[in-house]
Amino acid sequence: MNTSGLPVDLILTLSMTMVITSVVAVEVRHLRISAAAYAVQALLMVALLLSYARMNPALYWWAATALVTKAVLTPWFLFRYIGKTQEVEVKPLIGFGPSVVVAGVLMILFFRLTHGQGEILAPSALAREEVFRTNLAVASTIFVLGIYAVLSRRDAVKTVIGLCLLENGVHLSLVSLAPELSETALFGIASEVVVTVFLLLYVIEGIYKVFGTTDTFRLRELQW
Amino acid sequence: MIETPSLTPSLLPALAFLLPILAGIVVLAMGRLGRRFCLGVSLLAAAFLAVAGSLMAVRTVRGEILTGWGNELRVDALSALMVLIIGGIGFLTTLYSFRYLGKGEMGQGAGIVRVERRPALFYFLLLWFLGTMAWAAVTNNIVMLYVAVEATTLTSGLLVAFFWDRRALEAGYKYLMLLTIGITFALFGCVVVYASGAASGGLTGREALQISELREVAGLIPHHTALLAVALLVIGFGTKAGLAPFHPWLPDAHAEAPTPVSVLLSGVMIKVAVYALARTVSIFFPTIPQLAVFAVALGSFTMVLGVILALVQDDLKRLLAYSSVSQMGYVLAGVGLGTYLGYYGGLFHLLNHAIFKALLFMSVGAVVLATGARKVSELGGLGRRMPVTGVCFLVGALAIAGFPPFNGFMSKLTVYLALADSGLWWAVVVAVLTSVLTMVALVRPAYRVFWAAPAGDPGRFQGVAEVPAAVWVPMVVLALACLVLGVVPQVAYELLSRAAEALALAGG
Repeated sequence: MNTSGLPVDLILTLSMTMVITSVVAVEVRHLRISAAAYAVQALLMVALLLSYARMNPALYWWAATALVTKAVLTPWFLFRYIGKTQEVEVKPLIGFGPSVVVAGVLMILFFRLTHGQGEILAPSALAREEVFRTNLAVASTIFVLGIYAVLSRRDAVKTVIGLCLLENGVHLSLVSLAPELSETALFGIASEVVVTVFLLLYVIEGIYKVFGTTDTFRLRELQW
Repeated sequence: MIETPSLTPSLLPALAFLLPILAGIVVLAMGRLGRRFCLGVSLLAAAFLAVAGSLMAVRTVRGEILTGWGNELRVDALSALMVLIIGGIGFLTTLYSFRYLGKGEMGQGAGIVRVERRPALFYFLLLWFLGTMAWAAVTNNIVMLYVAVEATTLTSGLLVAFFWDRRALEAGYKYLMLLTIGITFALFGCVVVYASGAASGGLTGREALQISELREVAGLIPHHTALLAVALLVIGFGTKAGLAPFHPWLPDAHAEAPTPVSVLLSGVMIKVAVYALARTVSIFFPTIPQLAVFAVALGSFTMVLGVILALVQDDLKRLLAYSSVSQMGYVLAGVGLGTYLGYYGGLFHLLNHAIFKALLFMSVGAVVLATGARKVSELGGLGRRMPVTGVCFLVGALAIAGFPPFNGFMSKLTVYLALADSGLWWAVVVAVLTSVLTMVALVRPAYRVFWAAPAGDPGRFQGVAEVPAAVWVPMVVLALACLVLGVVPQVAYELLSRAAEALALAGG
């Protein structure tokens, strides 16, 4: 695989901006802005995939799929449902200050891991080289930030945004881990996330109608 | 004794999952033709799946391996066993669902859609649920295995929330959220296996997607990468299989779903997850033998936690759900040993659990249908009014507790022997004690509900009568299967033995 000629500076800038949009998407309590931050992140991801596509034309197809599913459909579903439920997020478990610290610590940890002990996360020699190892660090940070959002946010719509971030992290890592993955596999992976988001939001709309809130802490019918 | 299997191209693997999916589209498109039409199409598709499973079983026992679409689909005895379970239990459940959803639950409550649209949506989702499970069983592509397993979550998510009331919505939200996050770890794991297979095993990108190729080179994958992959796969597919500590979604979903869906979730879906786990992780057993102790420890923990939580339940469906968690512990302890005997015992218990857990859920569903109650403390004395249901529930309870002459006894005995054979005596003690507790957890409510005097007003259940034949016939079939597999376990020997070999030979 020819990795020379990749626009390294562009890739690094896009990767860093993706982490920033993740933090914004997790932290902003106004749900529409949060969803918008997610949409921006999805567009950045499409741009990243396009910059990598020079080494593997299959990534053009991956970028097109990501554009439709992540940058168009998912934000559309999110905006539609935010309109039907409440606009401002239920107060989260952990506030802004600690969250930024968490994001920073994660970033440093994953950079040290991929740049120091690369072989733990990266199964192939390619994934231990530059750009690809930074990509892996960024992808892992976004993945764990997504998990953090799902665990620390009480608002159901916000947990869905967290889920989307987490999936974006995994999908971004595929560039480093599985650059030769076939189109059908990529299509299957990407389309399922959209369906998941749609179904979850459909159920959350029902929850909002029946419970009168999207606060997941109020879902207490089933214990033990 | 083991001859090289012959690869036979066949249409059967592709048809097995495409036909139910097509039938689902037909049901959704022509649902206005009524409930009977939906049921008829569903029954035909499920019957086809059962027949396809039987044909696959016959041919794989003869030593054939069926392939389709190049080597994308691949059916060995293990896949055949899974398709047989999906088709068999799927057919009986569809039959059972007709009167069940017809009389009671379909017309009540808020409901996911308007009443007249409900049967079409229900059978559409049910058929897609069966189809995606069959797809997971026949695919040979490691990434598509993830896609198919996640697809089973998506098709069953709305079925779990079907009643659209407080409890169902909460269960549906938790189900979709937790399983999707969990399964993402499995995607990571599958991709790591694929990438390291391509990098270390020297496979091309296309070959490295095929599980049958990957297992040939698993030994070349570096130790730490293999451990990372196994950890991710266990979290991912383990969440779906209901292994502790990833089980909290399971009792909610299995208890709040309509009973026919509970039957499929507990009886079939969690087995498909175990299948995915066994398929992928078993390729590393020859190189990392320490995995066995870890798997057996996780299995024992799951067994004990599940049965303890089952003991404190008053709600019959939650009780059964927690006992599913516990029984999956046995399957994991067997399959996780990595020996032929362990695989045989684990898979035998997997088959048996599918049968008796489907039977138990159907029996509880019959009680709910007849009385409208599902708490042990509210029920009592139903044995004389519902003799068939009472006997079926008792057979299921004795079978799951491992009481001879029922099938649970045979498979649990095999698991004990396999554990003892590997020198893990502590695990044998845990497994036997769990069996005793399972007996208490299941047989006590069986006695309370059917043969003890009801609490409160003794005349409460005067008007209760036995459920209609369409409901009890599937139960009787399953109860007979419990007895047959217990008395003559050798009827399943050929298929289970071939299936166990398929796993035991992996990577070797």
